[in-house]
Amino acid sequence: MNKVMYLEFERCIGCRACQAACRECGDHDGLERNYVDYIDFSESRQTFPMICMQCKNPACAQVCPANAIQITPEGVVLSASEEKCIGCRNCTFACPFGIPKFDFEKNKMYKCDMCYDRSKHDIAPMCASVCPSDAIRFIDHDEMMQLRRQRVQMNMIEGKKPSQDDKWNYVPEFFGVYSD
Amino acid sequence: MSDFLTSPEVQNLIKPGEKLITTHCCYCGMQCGMHIRVDEKTGAVKGVEPRYDFPVNKGKLCPKGVTAYQTIEHPDRILTPLIKRNGKFEQATWEEALDVIEENFKRIQREHGKDAVSVFGGVSMTNEKCYLVGKYARVALGTRFIDYNGRFCMSSAAGGFLKTLGIDRGATLPWTEFEHVDTFFVAGSNIAECHPTTTQHIWKAKDKGAKIIVADPREIPMARVADVHLDLKPGTDAALAMGLLNFLVEHDYVDQAYVDERCDNYEELKASVRDWSLERTSEVTGVAIEKIEKAGHIYGKSPRSVMLFARGVEQQSKGVDNVSLYTSMALLRGMIGKFASGVATMTGQGNGQGGREHGQKADLLPGYRKLTDPKAVEYVSGVWGIDPSEMPKPGVSAFEMFDEIQAGTIRAMHLMCSNPAVSAPNLPYVWDSFNKLDFFVVSDFFMSESCEFADVVLPACSWAEDEGTTTNLEGRVIRIRKVREPLGESLPDWEIMKRIAERMGRGQYFPYETPLEIWEEFRIATKGGPADYSGITWDRIDNEYGVFWPCPSEDHPGTPTMFKERFGTANGKANLPVVTYRPAGEYANEEYPVTLTTGRVVFHYLTGNQTRRIDFLSTMSKLPFVEIHPELASSYGLQTGDKVELKTRRGSMIVEARLTKAIRKDTVFVPYHWGKELAINQLTNPCLDPMSRMPEFKVCAVKMKKLPANTPLHVNPLTVPLGSSVPFMADHAIATSCHIMDEEVPTK
Repeated sequence: MNKVMYLEFERCIGCRACQAACRECGDHDGLERNYVDYIDFSESRQTFPMICMQCKNPACAQVCPANAIQITPEGVVLSASEEKCIGCRNCTFACPFGIPKFDFEKNKMYKCDMCYDRSKHDIAPMCASVCPSDAIRFIDHDEMMQLRRQRVQMNMIEGKKPSQDDKWNYVPEFFGVYSD
Repeated sequence: MSDFLTSPEVQNLIKPGEKLITTHCCYCGMQCGMHIRVDEKTGAVKGVEPRYDFPVNKGKLCPKGVTAYQTIEHPDRILTPLIKRNGKFEQATWEEALDVIEENFKRIQREHGKDAVSVFGGVSMTNEKCYLVGKYARVALGTRFIDYNGRFCMSSAAGGFLKTLGIDRGATLPWTEFEHVDTFFVAGSNIAECHPTTTQHIWKAKDKGAKIIVADPREIPMARVADVHLDLKPGTDAALAMGLLNFLVEHDYVDQAYVDERCDNYEELKASVRDWSLERTSEVTGVAIEKIEKAGHIYGKSPRSVMLFARGVEQQSKGVDNVSLYTSMALLRGMIGKFASGVATMTGQGNGQGGREHGQKADLLPGYRKLTDPKAVEYVSGVWGIDPSEMPKPGVSAFEMFDEIQAGTIRAMHLMCSNPAVSAPNLPYVWDSFNKLDFFVVSDFFMSESCEFADVVLPACSWAEDEGTTTNLEGRVIRIRKVREPLGESLPDWEIMKRIAERMGRGQYFPYETPLEIWEEFRIATKGGPADYSGITWDRIDNEYGVFWPCPSEDHPGTPTMFKERFGTANGKANLPVVTYRPAGEYANEEYPVTLTTGRVVFHYLTGNQTRRIDFLSTMSKLPFVEIHPELASSYGLQTGDKVELKTRRGSMIVEARLTKAIRKDTVFVPYHWGKELAINQLTNPCLDPMSRMPEFKVCAVKMKKLPANTPLHVNPLTVPLGSSVPFMADHAIATSCHIMDEEVPTK
């Protein structure tokens, strides 16, 4: 898999098509694994989508006492395997992004797996396929690197300069999260 | 059933034992392309798969689109005809239902004349069906009373475009050019929630540095990143547009060569907007002068700009004025008929464009021909095989049909593909009108609020159970495919009309066996008209990702960009309008101090009859709410979640408050997707536009009252189950005349 998921929160329009589409993925049992939320509805309509970051060293897997959370050769962090999961919910507390969820009926954890049945064939996951504002994208690594630089390029074109208050707008984006 | 798999170069996930059927979404005017997953053996609908190759949406879908397939085999579908006996619906056979319809239609027409039976259509149907509704009313029933729900949707845009450009095609440019646009002026259009898949094109342009100007009383999601947000008072769009027109003239932003060559009436327009100084515009609209200036400079300097508007400016008693003034801004800048620039209205309903062109409107015949034009009548009569003298005269607009019912002129109605018991303004009056009908037939596939008033309910098919074409918001004619056989005993609307026509003794005019036969007749009927579809074939649509009308012959490439050389007027020049500013039909005063505006949320479509039944959508948005600015809320002691009573001169309702600073301080907003006591249209003002007969949904004066926390919110927002009694009925029906207050008008 040469592609990456690329999030740009600013583009999100809060339609929650990604959530509806997540339920439609064949392997997802009609349960959504991502979420969209308002930053603060009383102030603005700004929303943000959240999907699994597919961490290189995922906290959810680290804290799993049963070693139930597997990582594929492509680096996709899968849901806990049904045979191994003991239902302790450690993973739901460990994840800083609030991605693993718990199915109390089946007593097991489930999480975003980047629609592994699609993405392993380089077909975009459902959320990235439908996102009408391109806030979630499934793109080539090279395109991602280009997009990271784009904001800086646009600032140069428009002649904007950073100040102490808004220097964050001038830092290249990394996976949609501003890095220091 | 026609199979059509994905394009060879596009990769899709096709699961074993399943196949994909290529079609489009059933909801808004975007008509997003999608594949429906179908079980190869059983033919059952399994889900949705994105259609990455369709150029308008590129696989993108909104939450309604993702879940659209769930309506097809929904357990709430009406599967047999229903006849109301002693106030309860009972299942019946088609023969029984048609017997009742024939007997009543014939009796009423014998006693009260042919016009006593009326037809109320809708435009969430294919072109084939919409075309047939007009023919059905005029040929099978012989009535002049026919109109459709597009009157509440697109009629002001149509009126404004006809007045200025001469032809009413919703967009003068294709959506695929959006990424090359420099400035978007978005007026009264909540694109992110009502046409979400357009956002990708606008964001793409923004990535390249495009500017966005938004005119809306609410800070809609697009306004959040706009360069200027003109937060105007509801109902003052004409003032804003005239102020900006004057600004363009004063700052020499007018493309004089274009205006001289292609527009009439420039001097008159210039004189009519001369009084609209920035100060006056700012005072009337409530927008800061700096914002208007900034917007004027951005729009004036932009080499390629697109003017986008929607119901926000159109659903007003001066909707036509608003549309023609905003269109004139594009004309003065010389934007229409060029690459990546122009003007477009965001069509609300799936086939809002195609459905309004082909004879569902009270005064129109297929191909956008006028019913008052003897030549048009002669041509269409020839196609239909009737004598021109048999062609009924023009009827009245949708809302005025309720006045005719009250007056006793209309005594029976056949309602198709529409739900005016939720979507019309001043609902108490509408409900009372439905009760006054002698005989009421409704075709629908879910039990809508309107169905509950019916004497006979006929089970129609959903969009996925029939073939046909629709015309999307660009004017692109696209193909809807049959995904499965009709559920239960349901029938496509064209077959229902055909069967009733046979019972009325007019079967010889409806000899169709398939929708393709209707399409072929429809092509001939549109030939030579302004909306000419005669060169479009179903094969061409498949091969070319849709064909843009006008397309007068099979070797014609279609017309993605309109008005390249000339406009649709008699002399080929655009008419710049001269407009006298009128305030809204009703505005805030001491008794009703707040302005109420209505609109959509992203999770629901129109009256919610479909989307309220979908699990995901109803979970996300269960009940209506009122959006209030914290400053306004504070003067009523309101917090988020408090119950509020909203009251206008027509009705009242109880909703929950939702506080946000993303709205004007003098305006509240309520979405309109719910029926009965949850319907905001109980409160809205039926003040009609003098030309388009569009009611003023977007502005009325309201008073608010905080209610105790234990006040019950109303009932199940879904429709009441089959066979239940008729809902709450107002006995205080109010006259519908436009309520202009007699106080001094608050403008200068």
